[in-house]
Amino acid sequence: MSTALVTGLNGLSYAFILFLLAAGFSLTFGVMGVLNLTHGALFVFGAYVGLQVIDSFSAFWLAIIAAAVSLAVIGFLLYYLFLRHLYNKVPEQAVLTIGLGYMAANVILWIWGPRAQIAQTPHILTGALKVGGLGFPIYRIFICGVGLLVLGLLWWIQDRTRWGAIIRAGMDNKEMTVSLGINYGFVSTAVFLLGIALAGVAGILGAPILGAYPTMGDNLLLLTLIVVVVGGTGYIQGTMLGAFVIGMLDTFGKAYVPKTALFFAYVVFLIILLVRPSGLIGRKVF
Amino acid sequence: MAKVPEELPGDEAYTGDVPRAVPTKPMTRSSLAVGLPVVVVAVIILVLPLFIPSFVSSLVTKMMIYGLFGMSLNIIWGYAGIPSFGHAAFFGAGGYAAAILTLKVGISSFWLNLLLAIIATAIIAAILGVPAFRVFGVGAGAVNPIYFLLATIAFGELLSRVAIAVRPVTGGSTGLSGIPAPHLGLGFKMTSGRYYYLVFFITIVCLFIIYRVVNSRYGYALRGIHDNERRMQALGYNTWLYKYTSWIIAAAFAGVAGFMFAHFGGTMVPNNLAMITSDIAFLLVIMGSTTVFFGPLVASVVIVGVDYLSSVYLPERWPLIFGAMFVVTIMVIPQGLGVFILKLWRKVVRGAAA
Repeated sequence: MSTALVTGLNGLSYAFILFLLAAGFSLTFGVMGVLNLTHGALFVFGAYVGLQVIDSFSAFWLAIIAAAVSLAVIGFLLYYLFLRHLYNKVPEQAVLTIGLGYMAANVILWIWGPRAQIAQTPHILTGALKVGGLGFPIYRIFICGVGLLVLGLLWWIQDRTRWGAIIRAGMDNKEMTVSLGINYGFVSTAVFLLGIALAGVAGILGAPILGAYPTMGDNLLLLTLIVVVVGGTGYIQGTMLGAFVIGMLDTFGKAYVPKTALFFAYVVFLIILLVRPSGLIGRKVF
Repeated sequence: MAKVPEELPGDEAYTGDVPRAVPTKPMTRSSLAVGLPVVVVAVIILVLPLFIPSFVSSLVTKMMIYGLFGMSLNIIWGYAGIPSFGHAAFFGAGGYAAAILTLKVGISSFWLNLLLAIIATAIIAAILGVPAFRVFGVGAGAVNPIYFLLATIAFGELLSRVAIAVRPVTGGSTGLSGIPAPHLGLGFKMTSGRYYYLVFFITIVCLFIIYRVVNSRYGYALRGIHDNERRMQALGYNTWLYKYTSWIIAAAFAGVAGFMFAHFGGTMVPNNLAMITSDIAFLLVIMGSTTVFFGPLVASVVIVGVDYLSSVYLPERWPLIFGAMFVVTIMVIPQGLGVFILKLWRKVVRGAAA
């Protein structure tokens, strides 16, 4: 029971990293209709940029900002150079972003080498919180805190702000929204950049736990896809729920039945596809 | 590479994603204009091993295998309009069938194994097709193909996880190696030079069948579904069944390609089921063009060629080059190479006729 609590915290922090990653993916694809399969590689890139900043300035906070900003710049280039020309062509976007993903992974390998790197957690966040004989790593609690903050922020934007209303309107009917004189292109581009920046934040936040190595992007991309399908797209709550289910399942599975845990995410994924293809909380697409 | 222009006459009828780019003027349907290039290319491939070093002919073998792999995906992508991202699942299933049957089960007959591999691949496709087409939905406009893409990506990964986990049968993450040369029976001794002709023969047969399938009533129904599924439903077609069966047919041919690939390289690893291999199929189709029958064959010549050059000169940068091929294809030649060659060929034919 007591170890289950610690495993629970591990699962929760993992779920929040998945959430940050999947929220970005879900936003770009729910709002812009862009299938960005470089998302996994961008996560890794964010992690490496962050690690580089920690190496040079040994400031974790700066690393988070640097990862977010550098990825937002890359996201803008991605949009401006390529995706702008592929509006509404989903298979083409997929092909393009798959190719860019391979290139990004190889460039990361080129710059930083093949060795896996683990970030040092910042000084204040190392150690464990002792509660009744159990040690809860502070860094994992910190991740949950940041995740909750982002979740709250995105939820607030989605439900309570003008931008959120524009986004929801645009998802329902883009032509109508645009014809009402709303600059939907600007809003959706901003959301796209926000989504990609979140991948960078997830990358550097996850680096002390998951480490960073050039080929980890593929695996993370798959987990992201599973989270998005399980949770459903269009609502931030859905992404959170999907991330929670997959993160917990994966962590507890690895802790108790490590051999079969490889499949858990996929089994849930297949069941969701069969029973409720629009996801647990998703906009009805079908 | 053999069947190159066979589809020239039938091609005008097909309208896909980029139909307007293809000149729709009726062509002179002289059997010479169609048959000549097929025969020429076939003869070139047949006599090629006499003039080239054996490592080049093994490259050509690989081109034929990949070409078949790409064309199998093109049945569902180009003709039925179903862009599957997990086609390696079936390629790898066929390959693993070859490996398991020869190494673990101990059946040595090539033809029996081929048959069993096709059956196994088709069964896997039939099982995976049920959830896949549940998310594909109905109607070109109403569909959200993104979900289908996501689902199919996961299928290949799921199978590769299975291959890693079921260690006693599949060899785990190191895969199975030492797959023996095909045993054809009748005391026929297989060498890599002869394997070239075996692959050539099987590829030709498969391409002929694929050609007949996509140009049959069934194939035209698939094109109709691609263009307007709701209308096909209104005409009384069970479009789900058409898509589902085309998915299984495409899987079976991918299985054949994988089967030949297993005997070609002698090893099968979980990556042969995973995304990296699916992406090859993907590039084959998009670079070759989804609207031209022989497109993936052309692309396979380019991709295998570039792969070889890169393995000689820049082995470390292969993923970069591989990725760049995707980007260049989409940004520079979104219609694919097949359309170019088709246009060129039409010009030649018209020039000769005038």
